[in-house]
Amino acid sequence: MTLGAIALRNVARNRRRSLLSGGVVMFGFVALTLAGGFMSQSFEALREGTIRGGTGHLQLADPGWFREGGGVETLEHGLADAHRVASRLSVEPAVAQVLRRIDFYGLLTDGERTVPFAGHGLDPAAEARTMDLPGLVIAGRWMVDRDAHEAVLGSGLAAALGVGPGDVVTLLAVTTDGVLNAVDVEIAGVARLPVRELDDRYLATSLGAADRLLEARGEVSKLVVTLHDASRVEQTGERLRLALAREGFVVEVRSWEELAVFYRQVRQLYLGMFGFLGLVLAAIVLLATANSMLMTVAERTREIGTLRALGTRSRRVARLFLAEGLLLGVLGCLAGASFSLALSWVLNRSGIMLPPPPGVAHPIPLHIDLVLTAYVGGAATMLVTVLVASWLPARRAARRSIVEALAHV
Amino acid sequence: MPTHPAPPLLEGRGLTKTYRLGAVDVPALRSVSVAIPGGDFVVLEGPSGSGKTTLLNLLGLLDRPDQGSVSWEGEPLDGLSEDERSDLRRDRFGFVFQSYNLIPVLSAAENVELPMFLRGMAAAPRRSRARDLLAAVGLEDKGRVRPDLLSGGQRQRVAIARALANEARILVADEPTASLDSVTAGEILDLLLQLHTERGVACIVATHDSRIRARAQRVLALRDGRLEDAVA
Repeated sequence: MTLGAIALRNVARNRRRSLLSGGVVMFGFVALTLAGGFMSQSFEALREGTIRGGTGHLQLADPGWFREGGGVETLEHGLADAHRVASRLSVEPAVAQVLRRIDFYGLLTDGERTVPFAGHGLDPAAEARTMDLPGLVIAGRWMVDRDAHEAVLGSGLAAALGVGPGDVVTLLAVTTDGVLNAVDVEIAGVARLPVRELDDRYLATSLGAADRLLEARGEVSKLVVTLHDASRVEQTGERLRLALAREGFVVEVRSWEELAVFYRQVRQLYLGMFGFLGLVLAAIVLLATANSMLMTVAERTREIGTLRALGTRSRRVARLFLAEGLLLGVLGCLAGASFSLALSWVLNRSGIMLPPPPGVAHPIPLHIDLVLTAYVGGAATMLVTVLVASWLPARRAARRSIVEALAHV
Repeated sequence: MPTHPAPPLLEGRGLTKTYRLGAVDVPALRSVSVAIPGGDFVVLEGPSGSGKTTLLNLLGLLDRPDQGSVSWEGEPLDGLSEDERSDLRRDRFGFVFQSYNLIPVLSAAENVELPMFLRGMAAAPRRSRARDLLAAVGLEDKGRVRPDLLSGGQRQRVAIARALANEARILVADEPTASLDSVTAGEILDLLLQLHTERGVACIVATHDSRIRARAQRVLALRDGRLEDAVA
């Protein structure tokens, strides 16, 4: 005979009420773990969308470029040593790919209308190997040649100018010497970007065309690096920073998470929603369990009086009811974990497609990740809630006058 | 050199208790003094509302008097904390209630074990003693049975075995035969007297049952919260 065994028998004795209370705990646990698993998948999709959308795992640039966002003049904080830095990075075993980029602003004209754009000079073939950008093309094709005078326009930008694949347009921009320059490019394709503001201004062209337009002479804005092991971004970034500094390169290294403000905002929003959901579920469990425990205490008043008369200290009586509450919580969580795993398995094989999460261009399949933190956190939330809910009834039971409890009908 | 008589096992002096029912104060006990020597068999009698249960509650440390004091072998118990009173009830008192008050989720043997469990006794001697006690009350074959499957008389036997589990020095019984038919009540009375005689345990029994009264060593009559007389 132990306190736990007595608690277990009492839980089993009031089967219907225990099922109800345990069911509420189970419901709360399942909701928390499924929400946690779904959020994890959304974060993963958003993270991949951010990295493969062009940010890469790491970016390297002149410190001024990160500080002032590129500066006022063209390539004001350009990376003059880009070739040497890229060569140095390409021998690093952790590095999968180094992409050179020129970011610039200019005007796009078809001779009749002129619209501003945010331009990106890039190596089309290399980008196609790692990034999602080529997959966003909805008309025409992605560029193929690093030096070709071609461009891919955001669909909003193309619509503003009324142009499409095969049309020739002129890019106007200020060179690194401060002179206005123009280059003609053929529109290879039109892409739809997930963020409208970006879609309305996006223009990608080859590194060669951008270099000639800006007279960059091999200088780039930044290097975008992808890694073999995405779980060691921070460590690899720090190691590269130290290595490059030791070798005399004036270059700053930033991780994708530092650069992805949008990702951080969405993540904070989701976490806030998850926290609120947790509070609502905890409140439901708290009320349901407290009600159930109060009824249990009321029904067992004479039993409480008997236990006290036989010499049970009041704290021990309280512990008995707390143990019963805790037991309900543990059983509810165990049932919830089984149910949650089964439901996740079914949902993950259902083939349900979800609308794209913020910042992601394409629909994603519904997938509930198995997140250990959600299971541990869900169980902790439920057990603490059940203990809090049991505490007041347990205290009431312990403080009850023995004589009144024995006379209770 | 004068000799001092041994103090009684349990003694109440000037016990007064008033209950409040709504706006009305109802005096349940008015300055009652009673002494129970060790090994005595005392019957409390009186009509309903005369204060029998209140007196048992005060003497059994289940309640505290408004005035007066309770002492054990001459030691006043007024200053004890609730935990100390709980320990005293567990170790020295045995309680038998009219409605048996067995714990429904425990078997007959486990109900008997309960006071020993509360005292921290190891499982093996606890089980052995529970078996012996159930045998002593004639229920050696009912140890595994839950209370709801026992008859009223059997339940009361289990309750008596439980009351003796920690070798109580005194049994406090409130109407122990009131819920039983006359034959069973007679058996329970015989059992109480047998255990009292064999084990030397003092008994204080509140009852309306004239058969118990007839066999008591001492009868205390209560009326309107006052002790009327004592019959040796």
